Amino acid sequence: MVHKKDIRILAFESSCDETSTSVVKNGREVESLIVATQIKSHQRFGGVVPEVASRHHIEVITQITKEALSEAKVTWNDIDAIAVTYGPGLVGALLIGVSAAKAASMATGIPLIGVDHIMGHIMAAQLKEEITYPALALQVSGGHTEIVLLKDPTHFEIVGDTRDDAAGEAYDKIGRVLGVNYPAGKTIDEWAHQGKDTFDFPRAMIKEEDYDFSFSGLKSAFINTYHHAEQINQKLNKYDLAASFQAAVIDVLATKTIRAIKQYQPQTFIMGGGVAANHGLRDRMNQEIKNLPQNMRLKVILPELKLCGDNAAMIGAAAYNLYQEGKFADLTLDADASLELPYASEMLQ
Amino acid sequence: MKILSMSTATNNLSVALNDGAKIITEKNEFDQRNHSGHLDPLIDEILKENDLSLAEIDRFAVAIGPGSYTGLRIGVTTVKMFASILHKDVAGISTLQALAASCAEKDTLIVAGIDARNDNYFAGAYVNKEDDLGPECVIPDGHYHIDTLLSAVAEYCANNNLENVIYVGTGFEKQKEAIKKTNIPFSFGTEKQNVVHGGLIGKLTLNAQPDDPDQLLPNYLRRTQAEIDWHKKTGEAYKPDSNYVEEV
Ligand SMILES: Nc1ncnc2c1ncn2[C@@H]1O[C@H](COP(=O)(O)OP(=O)(O)OP(=O)(O)O)[C@@H](O)[C@H]1O
Ligand SMILES: [Mg+2]
Repeated sequence: MVHKKDIRILAFESSCDETSTSVVKNGREVESLIVATQIKSHQRFGGVVPEVASRHHIEVITQITKEALSEAKVTWNDIDAIAVTYGPGLVGALLIGVSAAKAASMATGIPLIGVDHIMGHIMAAQLKEEITYPALALQVSGGHTEIVLLKDPTHFEIVGDTRDDAAGEAYDKIGRVLGVNYPAGKTIDEWAHQGKDTFDFPRAMIKEEDYDFSFSGLKSAFINTYHHAEQINQKLNKYDLAASFQAAVIDVLATKTIRAIKQYQPQTFIMGGGVAANHGLRDRMNQEIKNLPQNMRLKVILPELKLCGDNAAMIGAAAYNLYQEGKFADLTLDADASLELPYASEMLQ
Repeated sequence: MKILSMSTATNNLSVALNDGAKIITEKNEFDQRNHSGHLDPLIDEILKENDLSLAEIDRFAVAIGPGSYTGLRIGVTTVKMFASILHKDVAGISTLQALAASCAEKDTLIVAGIDARNDNYFAGAYVNKEDDLGPECVIPDGHYHIDTLLSAVAEYCANNNLENVIYVGTGFEKQKEAIKKTNIPFSFGTEKQNVVHGGLIGKLTLNAQPDDPDQLLPNYLRRTQAEIDWHKKTGEAYKPDSNYVEEV
């Protein structure tokens, strides 16, 4: 029997307010995962302050590198590639991971791989189950709301995108109005389960034939309703508000995603990003896919809850696919704050 | 002792290889605005030209600040990782001390500064002593308005009978009129002296205590605006940065 050598990747992630390192085996198995979160710091300001984020990243970068290796019980000699998120994200924050990964690559002679953060989020699914291609992903996070077609493990195309706010951003903004600490998504999700959809907020673009989204209208409708009630001294039920907001978000996401599944007929459906941890959305997508006609049934991979938010394990998973394709970076690798996956040709018309 | 030193603190990207106090080679990319893409290739070039690997370097040195926040973090992150992985010494050197080290004059106050806009400077003042340990700090590195800086300079010169001042670094020329009013003879650094040199950082590190790579952090000399505003608004005390970051 030919014994295939295991491929171990040490990955870095520092695109926003989490500094993370991880050792991932064969793109599938998380041998260690360290996540140092700065949420407490940014809660002072009600949102992520880029310069503060960068300062925190550099404080922990060497320690968490050592921890990732020791927790996985490996040394540099066992590492086949060093991966890093080089965009999109906050440029100063990205630069800590990029500088650290390049320095590590130089010091050890281990090859370097640059990873797109969104490709990483989507590949969190690969850490749960093998993906069959073509696949379709709903990427829902703090900065992105996209429907992405995965032709193979490294060729992704955006077929739908938000025209304004991202879903997670909308959660955080209405959360702020309700006095919920940043990031608000998880709490709003919990409240939503205790309330009812009584406000009937707008479902923007739900009927349009494209796969684009818009959440700023919903956000404004929510805020107007809230402030109007405040002015007339009426107290609205926060659980019903949360449930109504969440129902509007999920309705649009689910309807359009199902339509895209029907058109592209992928083998696997994936969700990625912080909002993919939303229980309402997970339940709804599972249900909708169960209701599909028999001939359209497909594999569904919803990443583990703790791998939905920013983490380096997902970067290690995506990097493994790039490694297989020989897609390495060199020492000129730089942070690219506005890095984007390519758009499908029909999106460019 | 082979020392690899670098500065990403200002627009001048500088990397040098020293053997003890001797500068073997120094490469500069003046007016470089993308340190991230150029630092490692420049290091690589120097190592290759000298037939060395990183593992053969005994000590890493870096300009630790003040300077561009983003720039500082690129250099500091790089040497932290080098030293941590290769188990070598690392030392952070004041950017301003490195600037001052380009002036050999004795009995002279060397004011080193980096333009921080709106008549503010990251600055400090240094004097060369009889020994060869590099310039000694006499007005601490800080963030000063030009008027505050110049009164500190005047006071120091009066108390120490110094009658000559050199202003080295960036943005001092435009303060010529204000500087004249101090009534102390002065000159400006030359073009060469006004940039931070990796080779001088390497030299200064010979007398510096090595730092723990985990603890080595940029010396920003200023809190972020967000923290200053938060402190003003809430009256809450600043806590150590590590209190805000937790592993989950
Ligand atoms: N259960 C949940 N329901 C809804 N939103 C959630 C939930 N959990 C987290 N979120 C939201 O997820 C977002 C964070 O996700 P993530 O960390 O992936 O985003 P990001 O890294 O800031 O942005 P991006 O990945 O797009 O660059 C926040 O907006 C947060 O409120
Ligand atoms: Mg993210």
